Amino acid sequence: MKRQTAKSPTADLFAAPPPVTQRLSLEPLRAAGAAPRKQLWYAVVFEAEPSASLIQRLSRHALRFTSFVSIEPPNALLLELKGSLQLFGSLKALHADIDAGWRRLALPAHSATAPSTLAALWLARAGHPGPVVIDDVGMLAGQLARLPIACTAWDGGWLQTLRAMGVTRVGELLRLPRAGLARRLGPAAVQDLDIALARQPAPRRSFVPRERFRERCDFETEVENVAYLEKALEPLIERCVRFLRERQAGVQTLQLKLRHRTGPPSCVQLGLASITGERRRLTDVLTQKLARLELAAPVRSLELTSGSLRALSASSLDAFAGLAGAAAGAAGSGGRDSAPQLVERLRARLGEDAVYGVVSIAEHRPEAAWRRVHELRLAHPCATGDGIGGAGMIHDMPRPVWLLHEALPLCGPQSHERHRSGLILEQGPERIESGWWDGKGVARDYYIARQIPGAQQFHGARLWVFQERNSKRWYVHGVFA
Amino acid sequence: MCFAVVKTWMPREVPTLADILADARVWRLKDASAAATRPVWSTGCGSLDARLPGGGWPTASLIEVLLGDTGLGEVQLFLPALVACQRSSGSEAPWLVWIAPPHEPYAPALAQQGIELGRLLVVRPAGATEALWAAEQALSSGVCAAVFLWLKGTDDRWLRRLKLAAEAGGALGVLFRPERHRFESSPARLRLLMTQGEHEPRLDLLKVQGGCPGPVDLSAP
Repeated sequence: MKRQTAKSPTADLFAAPPPVTQRLSLEPLRAAGAAPRKQLWYAVVFEAEPSASLIQRLSRHALRFTSFVSIEPPNALLLELKGSLQLFGSLKALHADIDAGWRRLALPAHSATAPSTLAALWLARAGHPGPVVIDDVGMLAGQLARLPIACTAWDGGWLQTLRAMGVTRVGELLRLPRAGLARRLGPAAVQDLDIALARQPAPRRSFVPRERFRERCDFETEVENVAYLEKALEPLIERCVRFLRERQAGVQTLQLKLRHRTGPPSCVQLGLASITGERRRLTDVLTQKLARLELAAPVRSLELTSGSLRALSASSLDAFAGLAGAAAGAAGSGGRDSAPQLVERLRARLGEDAVYGVVSIAEHRPEAAWRRVHELRLAHPCATGDGIGGAGMIHDMPRPVWLLHEALPLCGPQSHERHRSGLILEQGPERIESGWWDGKGVARDYYIARQIPGAQQFHGARLWVFQERNSKRWYVHGVFA
Repeated sequence: MCFAVVKTWMPREVPTLADILADARVWRLKDASAAATRPVWSTGCGSLDARLPGGGWPTASLIEVLLGDTGLGEVQLFLPALVACQRSSGSEAPWLVWIAPPHEPYAPALAQQGIELGRLLVVRPAGATEALWAAEQALSSGVCAAVFLWLKGTDDRWLRRLKLAAEAGGALGVLFRPERHRFESSPARLRLLMTQGEHEPRLDLLKVQGGCPGPVDLSAP
């Protein structure tokens, strides 16, 4: 600003330098265990190995003490405490506070606090009955020296080698010459010792809790009218959409729980065809599902829970989409819906299985040469040729548009004569013999035939018929529509 | 744009174009020009193209096909047009939706014809009302190029809704119905009747908006 108003070039020299607005955030570095000299790590080692879901829950619990929690498989957690000291007061009190949490959960655990990650873990593994709190780097080597080498949780081969050398304590390990140790065990062992003594930072991956949207709406009176439920759902959806937008995320599943006065709550599961955070699509699917719902009892409260949040990859919008729609003959506003939206709406009302795609499979047996697909590739058009190799099969004879669910015997079992059934063979035969390896072998001669008019069924239709080569019987397998 | 001015008197000052267009005596050929720009899809059969206004299947409209029985080549009538439509639209091929087909659509046959299977949606609704609802949704969504619907019977009101949906969404709606509905009124732009002739299927145009009805010789090139 000043530069623009300044008249003479020398005025620049006296102008105040532009303020530095860019600040380097130290948080990521600190979190990675790199920049600051002093850190305090609290390690807890559980005696029983917790399940994956339990360790997630424990990590979430630990997040109330610090913003940095790291899961150390299989049974330990690391918490960075330095940043929390000011808030919680003394280190001893904080340590005791965290310990009390495990006791309340009836989880037998050992804990230790030390200025480095590995030292804290090793001390915790040693399993002292009382709390071990070391906040001085100078005391670290002395405290670690007493620990048995098993506390390092190194692999059996290393420990075997060390025991053969007569090393049983970490202190003896620390006295060994570095070069020799690196030669015997590899550089990783020396690096571990450096980390334990806080000479070298050890980056840890921070635990990020899984988020989901969950909100509840209680009614003052019991509600039986679905239309009213829809109205009540609107603000919930609105909040869910805002929640998703703030996190730049989308969901693919939603759950709506309707609570009744008695009996179990009824759950409505919603699946979306693609990850989304749009209000229109969520509302669409929810109202369709609600409209189909038969209420077992009056509803007392609604609860909307989202599935796990997924990163929303925004696709670029086509600037000329509207024009193209108009050119294609769309009279009104073009391109209001997207393909996933249409599929969702159809599925919400007709059922998940009622909407599907088909793919062709490179296979000679006609009934095995296709299958339904329920996972539609909605976002990106698939390449021609269709992945599975449908284009790879080149058939000599044309294939019919309709395939009958099961081959239909022509004119009962007594007749092997095709002229009695009124068939005129036009093209063929194409011999298909395949599938002996999976017990569904076929040996058939396929023809394209025309049914003469006036037959009992398919009169006048072009059919795809075959004669079973063993039984000489005739069947209809497809219709050229 | 075409417009004709009926001149009865000479104004003193030269009027602007807007003034002329605002005059009630000016008849604008708006609808006629719009009909010409609406794309049509060639049927792949010269004799049929020649009989249809614009020279092909009209998009953004409802077509009704009355069938004596299945297997007369009724889907085959539309497949070349669908293939051409999918090919011409580049990477973002439009969707085809088949609602309540009488049998399973056989994927190898469609692939053989050139249909992009990744963009075909088969819908199996439980009843006729559901099928009509699905057809209306698909037609009006604007992502489908063509919606085929197989029905046993329906009423006039639903047909009108389908027609409006097709026009709004710019999609081609094709309704396959049994022959017995031929004497019922229908809002469809085009009504075809397919029956079994002496040797091959016979196609009659029952109603053609902007053309003349009558039989069509499919075997002619």
